[in-house]
Amino acid sequence: MGGLEKKKYERGSATNYITRNKARKKLQLSLADFRRLCILKGIYPHEPKHKKKVNKGSTAARTFYLLKDIKFLLHEPIVNKFRDYKVFVRKLRKAYGKSEWNTVERLKDNKPSYKLDHIIKERYPTFIDALRDLDDALSMCFLFATFPRTGKCHVQTIQLCRRLTVEFLNYIIASRSLRKVFLSIKGIYYQAEVLGQPITWIAPYAFAHDHPTDVDYRVMATFTEFYTTLLGFVNFRLYQSLNLHYPPKIEGQAEAEWKLEEGQTYAMDSESYMEKLSALSASLARVVAPNPEDEVQVDEFPVDGETAEQEVARKKEQEAVEKQKKLFEGLRFFLNREVPREPIAFIIRCFGGSVSWDKSVCIGATYDVRDPTITHQIVDRPSLEKQVIGRYYLQPQWVFDSVNAKMCLPVADYFPGVLLPPHLSPFVSEKDGDYIPPEKLKLLALQRGENPAEESGDEEEEDSGGDDDDEGSEKEDDGKLKKLEEQRSQGKKLPVKVSAGTVRLEDKQRAAQEEQSEEKRLAIMMMKKREKYLYQKIMFGKKRKVREATRLAEKRKAHDAATKSEKKTKKVRRE
Amino acid sequence: MAAPTGAPGGAAASGFLGLRAESRDPGAPGRRRARGGRSRKKSWKRWAGPEARLGRELGAFLEDVGLQQRAAGGLVAEKPDESLFFLDTGSEEKDQKLNRGKEKPLRIDLILQPDSKVPAPKDILAHQVPNGKTQKRKQRLWEKLAERDVVPREQRLLQARLQKAQLATAEASHGQQGAHGQGAGAELAGGFYDIWSDTTDPLDRPLAGQDAWFLEQTKKRRVRRPARLETKPSELPAVEVIPAGGSYNPMFESHQALLLQAHEVEVRRQKAEEKLQRQLRFPTAAEAPTQETTFQEQCEGLLEESADEGGEEEAPDEPPAPGATPPPAPLHEKKTEQQRRREKEAKFLEARRLGEKAARCRRQELFQLRSIRLQVKRREAELLRRRRARLAKRRAEATKPRRLGRLKYEDPDLEVQLSTELAESLRTLKPEGSILRDRFKSLQKRNLIEPRERAKFKRKYRLKYVEKRAFREVTL
Repeated sequence: MGGLEKKKYERGSATNYITRNKARKKLQLSLADFRRLCILKGIYPHEPKHKKKVNKGSTAARTFYLLKDIKFLLHEPIVNKFRDYKVFVRKLRKAYGKSEWNTVERLKDNKPSYKLDHIIKERYPTFIDALRDLDDALSMCFLFATFPRTGKCHVQTIQLCRRLTVEFLNYIIASRSLRKVFLSIKGIYYQAEVLGQPITWIAPYAFAHDHPTDVDYRVMATFTEFYTTLLGFVNFRLYQSLNLHYPPKIEGQAEAEWKLEEGQTYAMDSESYMEKLSALSASLARVVAPNPEDEVQVDEFPVDGETAEQEVARKKEQEAVEKQKKLFEGLRFFLNREVPREPIAFIIRCFGGSVSWDKSVCIGATYDVRDPTITHQIVDRPSLEKQVIGRYYLQPQWVFDSVNAKMCLPVADYFPGVLLPPHLSPFVSEKDGDYIPPEKLKLLALQRGENPAEESGDEEEEDSGGDDDDEGSEKEDDGKLKKLEEQRSQGKKLPVKVSAGTVRLEDKQRAAQEEQSEEKRLAIMMMKKREKYLYQKIMFGKKRKVREATRLAEKRKAHDAATKSEKKTKKVRRE
Repeated sequence: MAAPTGAPGGAAASGFLGLRAESRDPGAPGRRRARGGRSRKKSWKRWAGPEARLGRELGAFLEDVGLQQRAAGGLVAEKPDESLFFLDTGSEEKDQKLNRGKEKPLRIDLILQPDSKVPAPKDILAHQVPNGKTQKRKQRLWEKLAERDVVPREQRLLQARLQKAQLATAEASHGQQGAHGQGAGAELAGGFYDIWSDTTDPLDRPLAGQDAWFLEQTKKRRVRRPARLETKPSELPAVEVIPAGGSYNPMFESHQALLLQAHEVEVRRQKAEEKLQRQLRFPTAAEAPTQETTFQEQCEGLLEESADEGGEEEAPDEPPAPGATPPPAPLHEKKTEQQRRREKEAKFLEARRLGEKAARCRRQELFQLRSIRLQVKRREAELLRRRRARLAKRRAEATKPRRLGRLKYEDPDLEVQLSTELAESLRTLKPEGSILRDRFKSLQKRNLIEPRERAKFKRKYRLKYVEKRAFREVTL
């Protein structure tokens, strides 16, 4: 047995990983800088499979990185910048301590700064890659854009986030790519389809934040720093793809004009353009004016491996999307002051509607309340004293529900003061066999083109009618049972008698059905044991689903009945 | 004017030289030397001491006053300026007289005057620029290049600097941070550039056209990002949409479902807390240890151990009595030649036997093909099952947060509004939870950052409290 002695922890997984502290020392960075670098470069900690081996026999919980990742980090030019910055801070502190103000000035002029352009390119080699990772970037930027300018993070960051998000919203409006909106108790979820990629993001409501203490702001700021850079590049590319000016330009008006108009009263000169953009009421100027004749129908080729059915379905879907894009075209909205302006204006503009608001709410109002061409006025008050004939007064939920339903919903349910139908989540999709709530069923029927509300008139009547039917059917059942029993009892006493035979009409359909079911049963019988077991399991699962659904439906029925009876009692009391 | 003698002159000189007043001026002649030896008291008492110095100073002062009166007819300090100074406007005659020598040109200049009759050659440089042709050509070239928007390096640098300054001011005024869109592509498309453009990579433009080997060796080319970093550490979506019950105006069922979920979480938490409480509870009177139980507990292992030992002691005592023969000593004697040979033979025979048996078995296996096939099938099926189970497990774990540090990931509280808290309209809606925390937890859940807790403030030295005397004296 010759050869060198094998030492422990010198090969295998122990050498593939490196602890955080060792990595930090290898890179000669402080912990904060190391963390920042990892976030910017997209290098994340790993959990090794055999912790004890990696940890050299110790079982203490540590943060591990892959050694190869850290070696990759060593090549990063930004590491040097971080070191420069460290030196800069040291010099600055020294100069401050010595009260050498000239030196301080000089140092501040030469403050080392770095750019993330090459990291963006490295992490997202193609534009589609960047789009796929846009969810995070958007959510973070929308969040930071609403922060108060109080020093939790840099004011420049907040302003940059605001600018980028406004640019993105303007792109979504210009490209009409919004698909779903969901008002949750947390914030507003949006989903858009940009170049075929679904992009989901959450935007907070415009209320004051209570800053949570258990969140590391430095980490979040670093993520935001990276994501703002990413979003900047993405915005530029998106604007280019639509031939829009970048930085965005408002269509039609020259800069001097709008400045004269109202800029002075609302915002400073430097800010009013940005404010005007963020009002989302004006469309953007294009580099080349769009020419409708240029848009030639592209020849469509069937995708390989696609059956005719699939193709038809795809075409249908496309048509639906096209229709949804023009949902609010030709409608003119007016937002009352109590309505959250930005989300609703954004959504309306996304679907081709024109929107305006009170001048005192925001810059960029295009028409007045008294405009006779207004078709819908969005109101969020229980009652209105003065109503103008010729326009619908609606609660804001109508806009959101219409977008999700891909059609303009009947307005009757959304009049001010009316109890609203529930706001369904468009992100939930039921599979067949799942329980579908009656609200959703109603919606689906509406989408199919039926109108259940008109059929049954008033809701109350409909419900009572339904109840009657149920009772009636029960009575019928009782009657049938009785008859059957009678027949049976009679059957015993039947006198023996031959009567002329009648031609039995064979129900072909039924026969076929029976045959089918018989075949199925036989097939089940012929199954192998294992397969049979699996089959039974699947069937059991399906049945369970159905059972659940029926249980829920019953529960709902009971709930409805309870609420209705409550209402009735209330009514009676009132009377 | 007579040279001032004595102390004042010396003082003035010393003052001029910047020496100390007391230091002795060696040039001053009037200074009296101490005469005689200093050994006797009489001799060093004579001109030393404060009185003597005062006397000397007085004498000097009086001498100075006398001098001023003699020279200027009164104290200089009291005289008006006009009587002391006059304005020297100068006179032509005097100047000429004085500067007679300086008017004349120097002899050396006269020597250097050209005295040749041949006219000097014309100064070509007055009419002609040296190297003008090439310069002109160059200028033409630059003009041509300028038409194509190519400017010399200095100008380019200057422009870049100017633009930078402009942008900085613009940022300051607009509050925009142009983190992107400057720099390498400053000339491109008004400061913005497309990082994903198909034609040329704007980041690589400065390196374009250079030798690949040179770039690699000088570390100017960036290291390619390894492919393993493309995969995300978790398969969870970046933005998880809240379940349907989290709508601001939810449907009854979905709201109930969400409430149930939240309720279960709360129940689990309460149970854990109760368990802890139960374990830490003070024992009741019935459970409380009595004297007896404490005593029993104290001698818990002792009694049994002693019993065991007794048994063991007895056992080894017995055997030696009947059998008098001691156990055979281990054999370490050398084997004989014969023994070795026999062992070898036996080994060989055994090996042959086994080999034959194996061959026989192998031959027999031909007739067992069916059962072997069955076995193989079973084995493969088992492997397939295991692989599937492994895959399923891996898939289930792909969405789970991993243990990345000292702390475990903990799910945030579910955002839920009770039926009474639900808003009736969008106007009255009260948002629940914080999106910032939601984002932060999402990052942790997707294994992008390790869960951490806020660093606790730790004092290096203990605080020392001292009561100041001023307070101690106050008694109430």
